This record gives sequence, structure tokens and C-alpha cells, in this order.
Amino acid sequence: MTRVAVDGVEVEVAPGATVLDAARAAGRWVPTLCFDARQDPFGACRVCLVGAAGADRPIPACTTPARDGLAVDTTDATARRVARAVVELVLSELPQAPAPHTELAQVAERLGVGEPRWPGETHAPRPADTPHPYLAFRHELCISCGRCVRACDELQGTFALTATGRGFHANVAAGLDQGFRESACVACGACADTCPTGAIDEVSLLSPPPAALERPAEVSSSDTRAGRSPAIDGGSG
Amino acid sequence: MSRNLVELVRRHHAEQAPTALDVLKAAIDDRGEISDEDRRLAAERSGLPEAAVYGVSTFYDDLLAPRGARHVRVCTGTACFAASGDAHVEALRDGLGVGLGERGADGAVSLAETVCLGFCHAAPAVRDGDVVDAGPGVVERVLAGATRSAPEPDWVSLLEEPVLTRQADFSGLARALAQLSPERLLAEIEAAEVRGRGGAGFPAGVKWRFARAAPGEQKFVVANGDEGDPGSYIDKQLMERGSELLVEGLALAGYAVGAAHGFVLTRSEYPRSKPALEAAVARARADGWLGADIRGSGFAFDVTVLEGAGSYVVGEETALLACLQGLRGTVSARPPFPAERGLFGMPTVVNNVETLCNVPFVARAGADAYRALSPGATPGSKLVCFNERFARPGVYEVRFGTPVRELCEDVAGGLRDGRAIKAVQIGGPLAGILPASLLETPFDFEPLAAVGCMLGHGSILAFDERTRMRDVARHLLRFGAHESCGKCFPCRIGLQRAHAMFQGEEPVDRARLEELLEALELGSLCAHGGGMPAPIRSLLEHFPDELGLA
Repeated sequence: MTRVAVDGVEVEVAPGATVLDAARAAGRWVPTLCFDARQDPFGACRVCLVGAAGADRPIPACTTPARDGLAVDTTDATARRVARAVVELVLSELPQAPAPHTELAQVAERLGVGEPRWPGETHAPRPADTPHPYLAFRHELCISCGRCVRACDELQGTFALTATGRGFHANVAAGLDQGFRESACVACGACADTCPTGAIDEVSLLSPPPAALERPAEVSSSDTRAGRSPAIDGGSG
Repeated sequence: MSRNLVELVRRHHAEQAPTALDVLKAAIDDRGEISDEDRRLAAERSGLPEAAVYGVSTFYDDLLAPRGARHVRVCTGTACFAASGDAHVEALRDGLGVGLGERGADGAVSLAETVCLGFCHAAPAVRDGDVVDAGPGVVERVLAGATRSAPEPDWVSLLEEPVLTRQADFSGLARALAQLSPERLLAEIEAAEVRGRGGAGFPAGVKWRFARAAPGEQKFVVANGDEGDPGSYIDKQLMERGSELLVEGLALAGYAVGAAHGFVLTRSEYPRSKPALEAAVARARADGWLGADIRGSGFAFDVTVLEGAGSYVVGEETALLACLQGLRGTVSARPPFPAERGLFGMPTVVNNVETLCNVPFVARAGADAYRALSPGATPGSKLVCFNERFARPGVYEVRFGTPVRELCEDVAGGLRDGRAIKAVQIGGPLAGILPASLLETPFDFEPLAAVGCMLGHGSILAFDERTRMRDVARHLLRFGAHESCGKCFPCRIGLQRAHAMFQGEEPVDRARLEELLEALELGSLCAHGGGMPAPIRSLLEHFPDELGLA
């Protein structure tokens, strides 16, 4: 076993455990966005930074192996300052605030990050995905945490999803980006289940997805195919 | 990196399947754009899922810009910027009548941006088809349809016995196979303290020992030839002029760590590199220096040369391995380190091209001779290259510890036309910027780090007194944002925001900028996001009045 001190509390974790595992074993909260305990650690969001005794900079908890004698501080001021700055950046890329029930909104609230102060480009809403009976994309809410892609890869084994693009314009797509229905998706829902922002959401056959209500006017007006809800139509954009 | 996708790639590689990236590159080479049909074919041939192929097709620069019958690529690297501002880009855009990343309506011509063509000694540079032209008059020649091949730079050693600027004779490999056990060769590399030349300066011996000790039925050695630093053309020259030396270095690395196969990843921006290396590999095979039983030693080793597709971050080792396997070139968190789980999930050593080119000398002459090359400084010699602002730009082999001023003035002859050095950026876009007042700093890892700079890969890029430092900040951050692989949040969003702060002439809020720089430095997953603040910090320290701060 590996013994780690988390905020002064000694915990024992199994070999191969991470600093995040140790923090959780100690009952301490560490903010995360790209982490899902069912998936391999990814290390993308960088909000799980914690202070480590003897280290000159914060360490990412989810990808750092716990080692004997390590002492970490989950409330380290520098780590928290960087985490807040990153969460503010994330909020700034979305065209609207995430819904209150989402993991992103809850992490932001707990870290005390309010309205982002960054002006500039946000992810543009694009026509909603081709209709799928159970799943809907809202690409503009995607923060490229990779959880949906990894859920489809590591948990479901279907490989229907991929990260796309590069830099600020990174996003996700199903199949050849023609939506879930045209992809290898088997509608297991693992992606929607893990999505921290509602970019992928489960929909019901009986009720239109939220996208229907907030769809940008120019997209609706360009949709000329009668008899189908514009909200769940429109292809890949 | 998805372990499942890597395993899929490994199984298909074993059956000689091409990578998805290779199929997509061939498609755009042939037809000028990539269709869904091409993606489906790439999925089928490579064995990757369609979605993964789609992700690859949206990642690399080479796959994104549509190509006309004539495809022109304009270099927007830092040497070209230092030479012309961005005047050459505008002139080409206007003259060809197509925007960057666009193809004319009739399909006759297309224009794309590229960083960097490695003709920094003769900037600005333009690639017209596979011909790279550079220097004064390049835009006029391209517009007149009279593109001509630019001359290669000087290639000079300041050492009596060159280590790197020489032709290989395979005497290092011969001695190792005849006289040194793999363990003994590894010990020699450790004793020589060969430090990685790609930028980080990590001891090669440590990587090798880690990989040698790692359990694995197969192991690999990889030469990182993705020399993406704008302003650097050292590895380009090593791959094209010193190809055999690299092959010898790779074989020695393979011998030491227990690998039977080596890979070189070259850059597509260097169209001459892959053919030069493939010719060198063929010669080495013909001469018995590669193959199933090298010179009767029982050691088997061969080399495969692959080419990237336009991405700076692929120079990072985990991203490089992803690219080699035809996947999206994004960075993966370490551990696992490549030495433990690398190419095809096997223990892999990734060394920079120049690092590997040091190995034959150590194998032949021994650690002591190597350490004696740069007395009192980092062992070995270093290649350094200069941009076109200098009177005698080129690649020079120098001793570590030489003062930067001596390199700039005595070796490269100072700036052309009697101009004055305002500042130099040494070691690429992630390095601090050294003002003229600090030119006495010795050219070595630690002394440069002590003044907020770095040795990096060894390019010395001068800005003359006419360059406005706010433009430098904007240029570098534009590059940084464009090249962010998009994986980690601070880099993906932060560099976009940092670039936006310097666009236009609005005052830059210094406190907000510093907050952002800290998040990039401490939060980023790799040296790209972590390093981009370094030159901005230098500019804040040495040229605050030119940045338009509020």
C-alpha cells in the first residue's frame, strides 16, 4: 500500500492509485472536469491541480501516481488560482452559461467562478444533429474534455465518436460528423451520461430536445424541409 | 492516447496496412481535397474506426487546405516575419487572387499557410508545388511563374574534428558491434552525458536505460525529425545532408536498448528530407549496415521513414508517436512514458535527430573524447543556425558555452546592411527573448535558462531595430494558438485569448495577461502551452513600453 498525506490526513491507497484517488479516499474535494472514474485518466482539463510538498508547482491529481510519503494540499492557493482561471476560460468559450444541473456549472459555482470576463470568440451554434431517437448534440456546449469519446471507446467499445479540429476549434463528432444516426452509435447513452456540459444529451421520443427551444433564428429559417422539427434536423452543418 | 486504437493500429501495422494518415495524405495529394469516400477508404485500409479517421482528417494542416492544380504555400514562420513583417503573405494573396487556405473558383491555384519551410537563412520562403524558393524577389518570381529552387545554407564546423557536420562512415557502429556490449554502449552514452538536443536537454542515457529495462516483447527507437520551431533548420540539414549519420545513430540506439526497428518522423514541410533519408537507408542496407544480421554480428536492425502532415505539437514525443501511428497528433499525459508504453504500446525511445547524430562519435571515440569537446560546459558540440537578418546565416557546429555575442558577431557576421540587433530569440517560439544588452550570455542550457531564455533546439533568430515588439508578441501568439493541439484547456482556450489581447491596437491589461500567463505556465499539459508565455514574459520585462500595456 502507498501512504499519502492529504491536507494532513494520512490515507492508504493501492499501488497504481493516483493522487486524485488518495484525495477522494481522504474525503477531500478536488475539482475535475475531464475525469470519469470509469475511464483512464486523461489529464486535459487541468483543474485538478493540487499543491505537493517539495514541488515548485502544482501537480495534476488525476494523472500523478501516488507515492509513499507524498503530502498534498488540495486547497493550495496557486493550484486553486490556476483552476479558477481555467474554469473561467472554459466558461468563456461557451455562447451561454451551462445549465445549473451540469457538472461544469457545479464546479464553477464551488470554485466561485462567475460570469467569465473574457471577451471574444465563443463556439458557434451549428444546426442540430440529424434526428436520433435518444441522443442530441449541441456542439457549441462542448468543452473537449474527451469523456464522451473515451466512454464510447473504453466503456462501450463502439468507437462512434472522435475529437475533431485543433486548438480553440476542437470539438467532437459522431462518425463522419453526420450525426449519431449515421454513425456506428448503438444508443447506449454512455456519452450523454458522462458529458459534463449537456453538449450531448439524452432526448425522449416524446419531447423535443432543449435545442428546439433555443435554436438560432437563422438556422430555423433556412430549414425548408416541412414536416420535421427544425430542432432535430439539419445535418452536419 | 487511446489504448484500444493503438492496439488496432498495431495489429494492422503487423499486416503491413498503411496508417489512416498515409491514406488521407495520398488522397489530398491526388485529388486536392478529402471526401467522405476517402475517409471511408482510409478507415477500411488502416483498420481504424470511421470516426477516428474523421478526427485525423480535421487535425493536420496538410489535410485541411484544399489544393488547386498549382498549390502555393507561404511560410509564416518567425524568420519570414522578421524579414518582411507579413508583407510577403499579403503580396502573394493579392497577386494570386486567393486567400489563405483557399482555392480559386476555377481550381487553378490555391494558397495555404505553412510554418516553417526551414529556409530561414534566405527568408521569406514560399513553396510552389514541391519547389521551395526564398529570399529577395521570391514573391515576384512565384507570381511570374518563375519559381526556382533556393540554395541550401552553409554547413560549417568550427571544431577541428566535426562531430555532427560530417559524413557517416559507420565506424561507431562497427566498433560497438565488434567491441562493446549493448550495456557497455549504454554506459558510454551515460558517461558522455549526452543531453537531448530537441529542447528539453533530458539525458539520452536515462531514456535509454529506462527503455532497456522495460518489459516488452518488442522495442522501438524513434528519431524525432519534427523540427517545427520556426527559425530552426538544423534537423533539416542533418536529415538531408547527414542522413547516414542519423541512420548510424538510430542503429546504435537500437543496439543499446534492444530494439530491432527504428523509425524517423520527418516533416512534410521539408519535402527533401524523406527521399534523402530513404536513399540513405537503402545505401546502408546495401552496405550491410542495416538488415537481419548486420556485418555478421547477429544484431538485426532496420529503419522506416515516415512523414508528418503539418502540426507543431507533433514534435512533443507522445504526440509524435500518435502521428507515427496515423492518429490525431495530440499530447498524452505522462506517465506512461514512451520508454514504458510507446509505439504500438511497446517500450520506445524517442530522441531528437541531432541527439542521435551525436551517438556515432561517442561510440567510436568514447565518452572522454566527447566530453572534451566543450570544456567546462555541456559535453559535446551543438549545431546552431541563424536567420536571414545575419550577414552569414547558416548552420554552424560550435562548442557549448560560446558567448551568444561571439556567435552572432564573429560566426554569423552580425546583421546585414549595418543593422543593429534589437533582440534575439534562441531556441524556438517557446523560448524567452534575449535583449541586445544580454548577448554576453554563454550559449548553453543553464546560463540561458538563468536569464529567462533557453537553448531549445539552437536556432538564433535576430530581430533588427525596426521590429516592433508588440508585433512580435502578436506573431508568436498567433502561431501558438494555431498550433495548440486542443487537448488541454489552458492552452486550447488560453492561447486564443492571449492572441486576441494583442490583436488590433487596444491596450493590453497587464494584470489580466499575467493571470493568463500563469494559468498557461502552470496548467498546460505540455511544453507548448507551458512555454508560450516565456517570450511574452521577456517582452514584458525588456520591452514593456512597446507592448501597449494598460
